[in-house]
Amino acid sequence: MGEQKKEAVGTPGGRRIADIILECRNLWKIYGKIVAVKDVSLEVKEGDIKLIFGPSGSGKSTLARCLAMLTTPTKGDVFLMGECLTKPGVDLNKARAKIGFVFQHIWLFHHLSALGNIELGLRRVLKLPKNEAREQAIQALKEVKMEEWANHFPAQLSGGQQQRVGIARALAMSPEIIILDEPTSALDPELTGEVIDTLRDLAKKGTTMLVISHEMPFAREVADEMIFLDEGMIVERGQPELFFTKPSSERARRFMARLIKLTRRE
Amino acid sequence: MGKQYQIIVDVYEKIFRGIPELVLILFIYFGVGLGLGFPPFKHAFTAATFALGLRSGAHQSQIFRGAIRGIGEEQMMAARSLGLSRLQAIFRVMVPQTFIIATPGLGSEYSLLVKDSSYAFIIGVPDIMFWTNRVIATPPLDPVFPYFAAAFLYILLTFPLATYLDMWGSRKKKQLGLQEGEG
Ligand SMILES: Nc1ncnc2c1ncn2[C@@H]1O[C@H](COP(=O)(O)OP(=O)(O)O)[C@@H](O)[C@H]1O
Ligand SMILES: [Mg+2]
Repeated sequence: MGEQKKEAVGTPGGRRIADIILECRNLWKIYGKIVAVKDVSLEVKEGDIKLIFGPSGSGKSTLARCLAMLTTPTKGDVFLMGECLTKPGVDLNKARAKIGFVFQHIWLFHHLSALGNIELGLRRVLKLPKNEAREQAIQALKEVKMEEWANHFPAQLSGGQQQRVGIARALAMSPEIIILDEPTSALDPELTGEVIDTLRDLAKKGTTMLVISHEMPFAREVADEMIFLDEGMIVERGQPELFFTKPSSERARRFMARLIKLTRRE
Repeated sequence: MGKQYQIIVDVYEKIFRGIPELVLILFIYFGVGLGLGFPPFKHAFTAATFALGLRSGAHQSQIFRGAIRGIGEEQMMAARSLGLSRLQAIFRVMVPQTFIIATPGLGSEYSLLVKDSSYAFIIGVPDIMFWTNRVIATPPLDPVFPYFAAAFLYILLTFPLATYLDMWGSRKKKQLGLQEGEG
């Protein structure tokens, strides 16, 4: 039975299924007349860093939220560690706990301290005892260099500090993968650096990540694959060098040119 | 919340915020209770309680709706992303914030409720106003002191708690950067 299941979700080419952490196949998300995500298939393997980019409104956030099952796809399937999440009867709470999510506009819980934000999931979802949850939460804060701010409320922190707590909150749950939806785009330019540094640290540790970002130097440095999304579709995908030297699609070429020009000007 | 409930709540709020408390008390006691003969409302205390509750409920519903709008779907999604169930998210994330945002408003609503209760003596509920009038009437007394005493009692009932709630809520809201939603 177990063997059969493995075969059923295995990809052609004989790669071991256990390597694939998160995957979607022919995913669609339609809002009324708007097709936000159009027939997208992708997979993230263990230790992979995938970078998704594309114009505003191209469906990046929607795709990310569908992958984390924070919104239900209209069509298509999502698999986490080989388990299909898009069929009825799946314990989605359990699945979501294994997928870390960092939001563009951060969305810390306003009424809880930095520490409280992290402890909530540890205590109520992973059901850790109080002192253990505290220990793990502090450890997570250390990883993003925020342990000195443990008892501050979100409103008392800078945007960059808040986002680092947001990352720690996702990280503390020991997820299989972390999805980050434009983690720096809501921040003032001078605050993006500290968050990018945090992400670099995660990359070095081999964290499996799917990052939506337009921080091109960072992308070039850490991404295993870049995926260019436009109008809900994957227009082009490949290694970073491909995009920085000779993107084959006209749309990707134009978008890259604009991004690089913007980065230079700053 | 479903659309049809939304409409029901909306109509309820509009109606009961629009009717003066005195009219509502008289209507429920004399109209529904004695006129139409609805047994519970023949009892003055029950009728007054119900009338006060209806109006206060309309205000509170409005206060809480604004508070919930201020928190928004985002906090819910953030909570769900950690694997919290819908119920856990509501009780651990939404409710605590709703109360903080609602507290200053609830403080004034509480004062209003205590003050509005002073109409109840008109249908014979033995409250502060009832006894004040009784004291003045038998034997006839200079009304200055009894009314002054009544006013003082109302202030004692409303001022400390309302002020405390207002101050606590406002401070907490500021500290946490929380705000009501528009619309
Ligand atoms: N909850 C929603 N309801 C209706 N339309 C939505 C919703 N979320 C996103 N959309 C639409 O889907 C498209 C893709 O949006 P989004 O995924 O946010 O793009 P991006 O993150 O790339 O900027 C947009 O046209 C947007 O207006
Ligand atoms: Mg987006």
